Amino acid sequence: MVVVGAGLSGLNAALILERWGFEVDVVEAKTRVGGRLWTLDHLPGSPEGGGNVMGAQYGRVVHMAHHLDIALRTPPRTLPSDYLIGDERISRDSWASAAANPLPEAWRTIPPQRLMGKLNETNPLLKTRAWHDPNLMASDQSAEVGLKALGFPNAAIELINANNSYGNNLSDTSLMALYRIMGEFGRLSGPALAVQEAILGNMRLPEAMAKQLSRPVSLGEPVVAIRHSPSRVQVALASGKTLEADAAILALPLPALEQIEINLSAAQTTLLKQIDYHKVVQLHCIVEAPFWEAAGWSGSWWTDGLLGRIFTRPIPNTSRYNMTVWINGDHCDPLNALDEAACTQTITQALWQLVPEARDVTSVGQLVRWSIDPYAGGVWALWRPGQAGTAHGAIRAPTGRLFFAGEHTAEAYRGMEGAMESGERAALEIMRVLA
Amino acid sequence: MRLWARAVYLSAVQLGLLSASLQAAPLNGEQLYDVACNACHSLGTAPDRRVGPALSGLLNRQAGTIDGYQFSEALSASGWIWRLPTLLAWLTDPDAAIPNNAMNYVNPLTAEETQRLSEWLLRQP
Repeated sequence: MVVVGAGLSGLNAALILERWGFEVDVVEAKTRVGGRLWTLDHLPGSPEGGGNVMGAQYGRVVHMAHHLDIALRTPPRTLPSDYLIGDERISRDSWASAAANPLPEAWRTIPPQRLMGKLNETNPLLKTRAWHDPNLMASDQSAEVGLKALGFPNAAIELINANNSYGNNLSDTSLMALYRIMGEFGRLSGPALAVQEAILGNMRLPEAMAKQLSRPVSLGEPVVAIRHSPSRVQVALASGKTLEADAAILALPLPALEQIEINLSAAQTTLLKQIDYHKVVQLHCIVEAPFWEAAGWSGSWWTDGLLGRIFTRPIPNTSRYNMTVWINGDHCDPLNALDEAACTQTITQALWQLVPEARDVTSVGQLVRWSIDPYAGGVWALWRPGQAGTAHGAIRAPTGRLFFAGEHTAEAYRGMEGAMESGERAALEIMRVLA
Repeated sequence: MRLWARAVYLSAVQLGLLSASLQAAPLNGEQLYDVACNACHSLGTAPDRRVGPALSGLLNRQAGTIDGYQFSEALSASGWIWRLPTLLAWLTDPDAAIPNNAMNYVNPLTAEETQRLSEWLLRQP
């Protein structure tokens, strides 16, 4: 077997296949394993540039971590958010009464980050996981139209669009896809909402998984072409090597897959160009002292401007903090058009403007731009209105001896657990044919 | 797969004897459990650190009743007893079988595989 991609999905598939006697070669374009898990080990506090929390229901991820002696912890608590609407700074306690709060009367008490949660009042996916059931998908529409039809005021829709982790803009986002995500949160309550992280960084998990494999992962080996017949697969690497296999699992994000010369089904070839990926820009900073305290602010910020959200959390056993500027969706476009230095400068200037007092105690650590990473192309797959009904099944359907894994192919989960789930399913499909 | 069978299989692979056109044998219960259940459910008897309950001695156990797990109210109140018909219904579509359950799982197995897995699980002591 050849597995292309050493993220959680590819590694999980490879481990399962090895357990059942398959010889597996894993090739990875990057010089590290982990894919969209990326612990910034060179920064104090080792913040996560990629997948950052393991949900309490992430059974596969958490079990794998325990199995491989990866110590987990409840993450240090992110400091509460105040708000910046336009140029107006609003403390979290005065959101409901603030003049700059644009929401109508009945909605004013809901903070911006909780507006999307109102979807669960009408969510058909609270009682079923069948998120691309044709009967449900028949009524799918853009989130923008759907939210209006559900009575969300325009001001609420604009606030959701300012910092939406689940779509680049609401007009291109499937309402059913949002229902799926909010349903996942809505089914959980109390302790079930608790999340964990690896104490030494989430990337330790894929690293430990890779070490379990009989053969080392081939790092820094981008795949340039894949040829396949009904019984064989040839994987050509940029280095000039060619791997021969009975089957291959393509466990890589679609923007990365799109760069490989390969014959897929007509439907898959079309979908490769159509399925969008979520954009995220992060600027990871280190804060030496809690500059927000003197002015009475809380430490984190939710803004409707360039800075998106700012998440600040203490670095355990130190007096310092990790502060991450986190920008989502189409708001990333102008930043992604800049080179790294100009992008960093643009964000930091906006940051000093918001909190001038931060300047003397804050240092810039790392700019992370997933959309312009050629082996990621974004943080996760997005579903356009109506697309999830058929695209999700088509994009992962085995094509000859090619099988597909990755969070975009997962059924019950998204994120890290979805990646692990998809690795199981791809391994199952191969075992059916070849075990 | 039994050890001897796996050894024969591996030898066949190494000797290049495994023809691509050879029809694969249906996956057995142990294989299906390993791929579809093992990450969340052990075959032990005591609670371990997996998110779901251990599956040993499942036959005739009342659903949602063993200590050490946070079951949904729906499962605990279901009165279901794990036997072949109930297990088949549960694994085929958990949401249809017991709505509001906590097992976030969409079954990737065929009906035949689900039957084989269920029969195997209920045989585990």
